[in-house]
Amino acid sequence: MSDLKITGLHKYYGSFHAVKGIDLEVPSGEFTVLVGPSGCGKSTLLRTIAGLEEASEGTVEIGNKDVTWARPGDRDIAMVFQNYALYPYMNVFENIAFGLRARKFPSAEIDKRVANAAEMLGIGPLLKRLPRELSGGQRQRVAIGRAIVRDARLFLFDEPLSNLDAQLRDDMRVEIKRLHQELGRTMIYVTHDQIEAMTLADRIVLLRDGRIEQLGSPLDLFERPANLFVASFLGSPKMNFIPATLSGNIATLSDGTKLLLAGKREGKAKQAVILGIRPQHIALSGKRVATGHAQVKVTVELVQPTGSRVQVAFPLGGKSIVAELESRGVSKPGEKISIDIDMARAIAIDPQTEKVI
Amino acid sequence: MKNLPFHRRKDVRLALRYLVACLLVVIFVFPVYWLFIISFKTPDEIFAFPPVWYPKSIQFSNYFVLFKDGDAKTVLNSLILATVSTFFAMILGTIAAYSLVRFKTGGENLAVWIISQRMMPPVAIVFPVFLLYVYFGWVDTFFGLILLYTAFNLPYVIWMMRGYIEDIPLELEESALVDGCSRWAVLWKVVMPMARSGLFATAVFTFVFAWNEFLFALVLTRTEVATYTVQVTHYFGGQSNFWAKIAAMSVLGTIPVFIAVATMQRYLVRGISMGAVKG
Amino acid sequence: MTVAAATALRANPDRNFRYWLLTPAIFLLLLVGLFPLFYSLIVSFMRIDMMDTDTSFAGLYNYANLFSDKRLWAALGHTLLITVIALPIELVLGLAMAYLFLEKMPGRQIFISLLILPTIISPIVAGATWRLLFDNRYGPINQVLGWFAGHPVTALWTINPQLVYPAIIFCEIWQWTPFMFLILLAALSNVDRSQTEAAAIDGAGFLRTFRRIVLPAIWPVMAIAILIRGLDLARIFDIIWALTAGGPGTMTETISVYTYSQGFKQFETSYTAAIAFLVIVILTVVVVWAIRRMGLAK
Ligand SMILES: Nc1ncnc2c1ncn2[C@@H]1O[C@H](COP(=O)(O)OP(=O)(O)O)[C@@H](O)[C@H]1O
Ligand SMILES: [Mg+2]
Repeated sequence: MSDLKITGLHKYYGSFHAVKGIDLEVPSGEFTVLVGPSGCGKSTLLRTIAGLEEASEGTVEIGNKDVTWARPGDRDIAMVFQNYALYPYMNVFENIAFGLRARKFPSAEIDKRVANAAEMLGIGPLLKRLPRELSGGQRQRVAIGRAIVRDARLFLFDEPLSNLDAQLRDDMRVEIKRLHQELGRTMIYVTHDQIEAMTLADRIVLLRDGRIEQLGSPLDLFERPANLFVASFLGSPKMNFIPATLSGNIATLSDGTKLLLAGKREGKAKQAVILGIRPQHIALSGKRVATGHAQVKVTVELVQPTGSRVQVAFPLGGKSIVAELESRGVSKPGEKISIDIDMARAIAIDPQTEKVI
Repeated sequence: MKNLPFHRRKDVRLALRYLVACLLVVIFVFPVYWLFIISFKTPDEIFAFPPVWYPKSIQFSNYFVLFKDGDAKTVLNSLILATVSTFFAMILGTIAAYSLVRFKTGGENLAVWIISQRMMPPVAIVFPVFLLYVYFGWVDTFFGLILLYTAFNLPYVIWMMRGYIEDIPLELEESALVDGCSRWAVLWKVVMPMARSGLFATAVFTFVFAWNEFLFALVLTRTEVATYTVQVTHYFGGQSNFWAKIAAMSVLGTIPVFIAVATMQRYLVRGISMGAVKG
Repeated sequence: MTVAAATALRANPDRNFRYWLLTPAIFLLLLVGLFPLFYSLIVSFMRIDMMDTDTSFAGLYNYANLFSDKRLWAALGHTLLITVIALPIELVLGLAMAYLFLEKMPGRQIFISLLILPTIISPIVAGATWRLLFDNRYGPINQVLGWFAGHPVTALWTINPQLVYPAIIFCEIWQWTPFMFLILLAALSNVDRSQTEAAAIDGAGFLRTFRRIVLPAIWPVMAIAILIRGLDLARIFDIIWALTAGGPGTMTETISVYTYSQGFKQFETSYTAAIAFLVIVILTVVVVWAIRRMGLAK
């Protein structure tokens, strides 16, 4: 069963085409993250699901009911906003109870639910306070509390953590993940932060320019990106891209380095490609080369320790390549080292279509 | 002043500022003082030559006369007219402003047309309206004057509230919509409370305007709903022995606005500056 | 029927909400805005007066009369005279007062509260008050002047043709300078301090700083204050009514007072409508010109 089904959805703002034909089905209980660069239409898509924007074309079904023209309040959804959307003139209790009061719940039920939600989020002692007397993180919890008391079918989040500082953001991310496990509800979460997307999602929907670029589990997208954009958007540090010439399984870089790609390829004539290699898929050479790995000697240009690991930059194939290596055996700039590239996980991209071959 | 040490120069400056400030207060408040004391004077004191600058004793007989003759009822009329028309102007103006801001209804043109109605000279309006009211039998009724005051204050309310509503974060309203509020409920439960200080500031002005209004009241009232401003002018033209009544009636009519403004002082000051900045 | 076609038949259930919100306000605005305009326009082409109700089309008869109506042009002149004298004085005085109270000082709020008293009382009461103050025999003004003159002064402020305009303008300034003061005080408080301080450090004098930095910063607010007060002055009625009732004779009759007396004393219905229309046209032209001139239009 699916909680949300979107068919052929378009959204125009005047003549500006913000969402360009989205089809999406979200199974019950799944945590779906809409991710993409800022301005790609994530919020627009989410707000159309919520009914805060009118769909220009296409349909939205929630719980197998067509709600394309239903009021937001009639869609059985709850939403958490980026700026918390707390009412400054109401205390925390009233803020959380607002949705229940709007739906005329009996007050005993309201007390019970608010107490429950407050305990779940650890904001029990704050119920009498006004929003301005709370810290950013506490406000965010109240905003989430407002949504979860409603016990809606679908939970929508629009960049809920982007106003928090880095430490709090990490904590809240864990919190949201835990809530999803406890509540087992279908959640749709918008973010422009690919790390948030990777860590939270059961499934990622990667958007660009109003279209879905790729859709799948975080690992799917990370390991098997469909095109250049997906490959470059996900992962940190970013994937390395090196122009090369491919004939058969052999990729030749501009400096003459030859790398052997894994898998069987139709050995056509020579073809220009872009080789994609993740920094995580490069390691210092061990005693022996594993199958499917290529060994290359390079000269270190730059060393950036990140704590447990170290980022090393070196030139290869006319490009500056970044590798993420173990801290042990750290090298200094100028040093010559030998590295192993996991070619089974490297990708080749057609420079014309930007699709992965 | 040049050869004084710096901190002394500052003291002198401050002292001068106080001096000028006190002088200004005397100039601007003295007429009000004079009005008040005349209302407390006996006829002998009023017509003493040279004038008496402060009464020997405060006596209220001038006010008793107004209450005995029923003239004081006009203050009540003013109160009813100003309160009710302010209430309606605030409600209707605020929801209209909300429509202009949130839905851009009518675009910039409608907004400009609305504020341009504020420029209408009352004297050009009052004559056609008078004939219309005669036709409908609305002259000298609360309904007629409330309708007119409400309408006349609307452009101001809409213009002011537009500014305040623009400052309300859209997310608060959207959140309420998602929570199951109807559009109307969002207005009452989110927009109105969020615009509270703006509502007060604007309401003070609307109230003071309706309270002090004269021309419409002069033309459209007779006896039933005559306002205190009209009543004050009824004492003009007669002999000087109406002085006591003019003063007492004016004081009766002025005290309520003083109270309204004093309790709303902070909204009022904000309202004046906001109106200018945003208007 | 396909799904797409089915949805196309339905629409946003709240689509009319925005119009419901505006309907009552628009209705009322038509009552005070459009109705008098159209009424005046139509009736001004007829010949209705106290004696006669002739609703046939009279052409430009009433408008032709406007041009030969000396009292009308005199009234326009009186209105202009009061406006061009009172408005600059209110502006300069209000600005000076705003500067006086710009810096914090103990008791500042109390001073401000007292100073705005004149503005919140009714213009009718203001006029009445000054009538009492100006009284030739029992008023305090002549007495104070007598102290300075060294002999009793018995100036007939509201009757003497030489003194009646000063009296009106004095009352007007007294009532409305505080309004200017409050607005300009708010505007001055919003001027960026670091800019004026930087100018002071650069050695710019007060006038130079005012012209170059302060005036441009407060101009949008000041322009609106001028516009509001200018419009009020152009429509001035209450204070005149209470102080002189247009007298002596018709010496202080403003356009509003004149229109009123044509309509409600002479019952010149059609002619009053023509005057009303003329007033609306003049004001509109002046306001549009002023908005352009002062750079307020977007
Ligand atoms: N109300 C609106 N009117 C016009 N354009 C809009 C509106 N809202 C969003 N847009 C445009 O639509 C595009 C997508 O916006 P949005 O969905 O907010 O992007 P994001 O992915 O950053 O959330 C942007 O280019 C934005 O400028
Ligand atoms: Mg967004």
